[in-house]
Amino acid sequence: MLANHWRPVLLRMPLRALHTRFGPLAQEAVTGAAVAAAPAQPKLTKEQLRRRELRKMIRSKMLAKRPASQDKVYLSVPEAMRILRAVEVGQPTSQQTITLTTMVVSEKGVPPLHGDVVLPTPLKPVRIAAFSADPELLKRLQEEVELEIVGGAELIDQLKSGEVPVQFDKAFATPDIAPQLNSKLGALLGRRGLLPNIKKGTVGPDLLAMIRSKVGAMPFRQRAANLAFGIAKCHFSDRQVLGNLIAAREAFQLAIQNQKSKKRSILGRSTLSSTHGPGIVIDLA
Amino acid sequence: MTKSRVVKQLKNLNKVVYTTKLPQIVIDRTKYEAMKLTFQRQNTNGHMGARKFWHDYLPTLQYYNPDFRIELLRIFNSKKNVDVPCILEMLDTQGQAVETIDMKGKQSAEIMQELLKTIDHTQVPKDQIVELGNKD
Repeated sequence: MLANHWRPVLLRMPLRALHTRFGPLAQEAVTGAAVAAAPAQPKLTKEQLRRRELRKMIRSKMLAKRPASQDKVYLSVPEAMRILRAVEVGQPTSQQTITLTTMVVSEKGVPPLHGDVVLPTPLKPVRIAAFSADPELLKRLQEEVELEIVGGAELIDQLKSGEVPVQFDKAFATPDIAPQLNSKLGALLGRRGLLPNIKKGTVGPDLLAMIRSKVGAMPFRQRAANLAFGIAKCHFSDRQVLGNLIAAREAFQLAIQNQKSKKRSILGRSTLSSTHGPGIVIDLA
Repeated sequence: MTKSRVVKQLKNLNKVVYTTKLPQIVIDRTKYEAMKLTFQRQNTNGHMGARKFWHDYLPTLQYYNPDFRIELLRIFNSKKNVDVPCILEMLDTQGQAVETIDMKGKQSAEIMQELLKTIDHTQVPKDQIVELGNKD
C-alpha cells in the first residue's frame, strides 16, 4: 500500500514512472511503511553525533584539568630524563632530541594556538644573515651582535648564483633591499622559510631590535590537537631542560592569552619523549 | 583502549628500569671510566648478538650508572667483505682498554653473563630498584 503522502507525488509523475521497478516509487510500493519511516533516521543520528561530540568534549576537558601526577605514566622531569637518556644509549648525538608534546583541548572553530618560544638553551646555535643596502649600518650591527653573513645587492647575486651557500637559519633585511630579495631569492629562501618579510617581523628599519626579539625564538604551531617541538638534547643537564620547559610553558600561556576567540583553549597532558624512546607524562602546569 | 595503552607503556618503561634483571649493577668507577663497543651495522658474521645486547641490556646498565660513558662504534660493511671486529672494551681513566670481551657469534644473554664475570661490580640494592606503575 502506498502511504498517503506519496499521492501528490504520484499524480505529478508521468505514467511511465509507475511501471518502473526502480526508484523511490517502486521501493515504496514493495516495502511500504518501513521505508516511509526511514527519512527520520539521519536526523536522529545527527543529534546523537552532536551529543557524542559534547560528551567527548566534556570528558577531554575533565581529563585536561586533572593533575598530571594522577597519570599512570607520570614521572618528575629529572626521572623522566634519566630514563630517556638511558634509552638513547649508543645512538648518534644528532638523533638524541627530546620532544615536548602538549595536548590542546579546544572547541570547534577556535583558531589553532601559535607563537614563539625563546629557549634559554637552544638546541643548536642560530646563524643569522642580515641584508641591507647601507654598508655602514651593517658594520655598526656587526659590532653589536654576532652575524654569520652580511651584505647588500652583491650578496644577493652571489647567493642566487650559488657562489655563497645558504648557511644561516634566520635572515633579516631593511625595507630598501626587501623587494630585491623577494624577486631574486624568493624561490631559494622562501622554500626554506628564510625569506624576510614584514609580516614575520624580519623586515624593518631597525635591524638590531628585530634580531634581539626574534633570535633564539622558535615558532610553534598547533597541529591537530597537539603542540609539539624539540625542547632539549639528551646531553643537556636537568637544570637546562627545566629552564627550557618553563620557557615553553610561558610561551603556551601567552599564546592562549593572545587567542582571538571567546572560548579559549585548555592545555592538556604533556609528555616528554626522545627520538627512539617512550613518551613520559610530566607536569607542565 | 586507554587501559591497554597505559599497560603497554608501563611495560616498555619497566623493561628499562625493572624487568631486565641482569644489568641491574653498579660498575666500579675507580677501575672503569667508559665502555666501548665495536661491531658491524649488519647482522652477518655473528654480529647480531652484539646489536641485541645493546638494545636489550645497555639501557638498563646506563639507567643504573647514569654518569658512566657508553660509546658505540657501528661499522658499515654492506658488501660483507671486510672482517669487522666485534668486541666490547672496558676503558680506564687513561682511555686504555682494561678488559676486552669478544662478542662474535654469541647471543646477547651470553655476552651479558660474560660481562658480569669479567668486570668488578656490585648489585643495585633492592630498595633502589625502581618499578613504575605501582602507585595504587
